[in-house]
Amino acid sequence: MKARAAITVAAAGLIFFAGYAALFIAPDEATMHEIQRVFYFHISLWTGMYTALGLAFVGNVAWLVTRQPKWDWLGVSAVEVGVVCCTGGLITGVLWGKPAWGIWWTWDARLTTCFILWLLYISYLILRGLIEEPPRRATLSAVFGIFAFLDAPLVYVSNRLWRTQHPAPVLFGGPDAGLDPRMVRVMLFCMVTVVIVTLIVLVDRYRLEGMRHELDELQLAAEAREFRLNSAPFKESL
Amino acid sequence: MTLARAAAIILTKELRLEFRARELLTITVVFALVIVVLFSFAFDPTAGESRRYGPGLLWIAFLFAGSLMLNPSFAREQSNQTLDALRMAPISPFAILAGKMLANLMFLGVAELILVPVFAVLYNISLAGIVGRLALVLLLGTVGLVVTGTVFSAVASHARMRELLLPLLLLPLLAPLLIAAVEATAALFAEQPSLDRAWLTLLAGFDIVFLTASWLLSDYLLEE
Amino acid sequence: MRNFHFLLAAWMAVWAVFFAYELSIASRTAKLRADIERLKRQLRDG
Repeated sequence: MKARAAITVAAAGLIFFAGYAALFIAPDEATMHEIQRVFYFHISLWTGMYTALGLAFVGNVAWLVTRQPKWDWLGVSAVEVGVVCCTGGLITGVLWGKPAWGIWWTWDARLTTCFILWLLYISYLILRGLIEEPPRRATLSAVFGIFAFLDAPLVYVSNRLWRTQHPAPVLFGGPDAGLDPRMVRVMLFCMVTVVIVTLIVLVDRYRLEGMRHELDELQLAAEAREFRLNSAPFKESL
Repeated sequence: MTLARAAAIILTKELRLEFRARELLTITVVFALVIVVLFSFAFDPTAGESRRYGPGLLWIAFLFAGSLMLNPSFAREQSNQTLDALRMAPISPFAILAGKMLANLMFLGVAELILVPVFAVLYNISLAGIVGRLALVLLLGTVGLVVTGTVFSAVASHARMRELLLPLLLLPLLAPLLIAAVEATAALFAEQPSLDRAWLTLLAGFDIVFLTASWLLSDYLLEE
Repeated sequence: MRNFHFLLAAWMAVWAVFFAYELSIASRTAKLRADIERLKRQLRDG
């Protein structure tokens, strides 16, 4: 309990400082001024998302190979957290686009990739909701998860290639556009913060899944006992 | 029994099943035609516009019709639990999968053979001189659709709402394939038709990645 | 500060999403813990 409280306080501190850094420490950007600071959150969220989805892939493969339930728990937790990060990434993308370019959305390569991945992993969660038996649910969603992960680079490449043929305003010039070292430091700090917070939330979700599993086992034990108790009279009469 | 022979037997079974009723093929073709017709209300099919929107329309029609058509692939095994019987046969799970993929490829191929000329007529696009190259693009795209669709048919067959689930799982995943196929087709429909190497590579890459993944994961896909 | 409200909205939206998610996990965890304790007691005493 103490460790958990300490972690929460530390996370809150990180969030506060990251926000402060992004809003006040980072130097002003020449063309877009204030709204550029969304950049720090936006890229960080994508970092969190890719971390989570990478962990999901690990969970999916590990479940298929070892059949230990904990890997399935990792799979679903990581995907859920990844979807949350992705949602944040999309929201910040929109909130950057409007003030910077006057449009809510451009189908630029990175945003479109993000959107498609969002849909793909939401489908993963929907799939899980529609299969009842835990082992089968774990196996089939693991297969789908692996396919989705393999698709992600293809989505990015195809969108990138499409964008070079149909140019449009690029929302995010890319972190290599001659950045001030202070910006780089703030960027890294925000990225680390978001990844840490993502992992904390992931562990909580993982524990929740473990408890659900424990509940299922207990319910099975309770039902088995009910059955034994109710069939006792029959045994006696024999 | 070799993989090829086993897959061929499954393929024959699938074909025989389908040709008894022929309903799947009919419905697929008609559904795709419906999409093609409905799209005509979305824009005025003059030559320029057809060349711009035609490829997208064609592939969306194939993707939607295909994702509906791929459902029965594994769904029909559920009713009499025939999949258990297949599993007990001395063939690898991938043979079952491959046989079904080949059957679906043929069904969709026949549907495309009918649809593409109709589409060309309805939208005033000349196919002269590009038939061979168009066939290549169609083949690469359809293989990707069929490989992933058959796998997801197996996945969805164990879930509730499988008719809605399959398109939901399949269509986001197929986004790269759709982009590549549409762009490659558009390059062929252009005034100077050309075969776009980059998009074809992407299509081929997509097919190889997911065929390999299907092969590696086939055991888990078809297990008890 | 031009466009400040967009920036603020973005910052708040991001953390709101995270906190909402974390809160939902926490409440589900509490509920599950209660159910588990109940079942454990049932199995022990019943």
